[in-house]
Amino acid sequence: MLLHVLLGTIFGFILSRSGAADYNYIQGMFLFERFQLYGIIGTAVVLTAPGLWVLKRFGRTVTGRPLEIELKALNRGNLVGGLLFGAGWSMAGMCPGPIFVNIGEGKLYAAAALAGALVGAGVFGTIYSRVQGPCRLPQRP
Amino acid sequence: MPLILNHVPPVHWAIAGAGIAAVTLGLLFFANRRLGISTSFEDVCSLLVAQPYFQRGAVRAGRRWRLPFVIGLMLGGFLSAVLSGGWAPTWDLGMFDQVIGFGPAGKLAWMFAGGLLIGFGTRLAGGCTSGHGIFGLSNLELSSLITTVSFMAGGIVTTHVVYRVIFH
Repeated sequence: MLLHVLLGTIFGFILSRSGAADYNYIQGMFLFERFQLYGIIGTAVVLTAPGLWVLKRFGRTVTGRPLEIELKALNRGNLVGGLLFGAGWSMAGMCPGPIFVNIGEGKLYAAAALAGALVGAGVFGTIYSRVQGPCRLPQRP
Repeated sequence: MPLILNHVPPVHWAIAGAGIAAVTLGLLFFANRRLGISTSFEDVCSLLVAQPYFQRGAVRAGRRWRLPFVIGLMLGGFLSAVLSGGWAPTWDLGMFDQVIGFGPAGKLAWMFAGGLLIGFGTRLAGGCTSGHGIFGLSNLELSSLITTVSFMAGGIVTTHVVYRVIFH
């Protein structure tokens, strides 16, 4: 558990200092006026991909346990949910990680973004059975 | 351009990207966890709501690591503020203040609306920038490619509507 707090702290610090948790940099990305966020995400993917390939070939964690990677479901929710999330990312200027980072930084409005996200997730879980059919989502309780 | 946070310059994108890759790979190699943050919204819901959807095994098992991880995210933001000139509560919202200019109440309403879309959208898509955009793309998952293209499109359209059509 301490390891997770530590990794989260490092991740949060990086998001905070890179512009990934900065309203202006997010709008600059979506307006094609700033390269910063494209550079960050692009570098992260370009470096994580070969690292993942190596780790999967090795097949184990540091303690020797078999690697478990649960794949994401492929369905219509990817498209519809992605579009909705993108609109929210633009409005708030933060995606889920930076919501927490901005709260830590002392940005007071970020608490409202978190409250909205929790209500949004709560609504989704509550109406899951009605969204599931049209979006071809997996069966859940 | 300086950050809103204490007006410090951002670190180079290559350094930030490399750091994110290191944490993503470290989380998998040291803790056997797939990076993903938006599921933590369900984790919090599972503590507050009795709905069976939130009490399913995957959520109850995941929240043991994901909640400490997002507490770390908040700590990281706090440390970043302290080490860059000091922590202080702020309403500063950069270009939103210059162009849209809502006061605190308007900002809270705007942020809550954005948050609703983030919470609902990420749960419907099955992930966000971290789980789909970074881990999923790196893992060559089709669902992540579709989601990433969709959320980039949603953001590009929304920001253009807000800053190029409604307020300009």
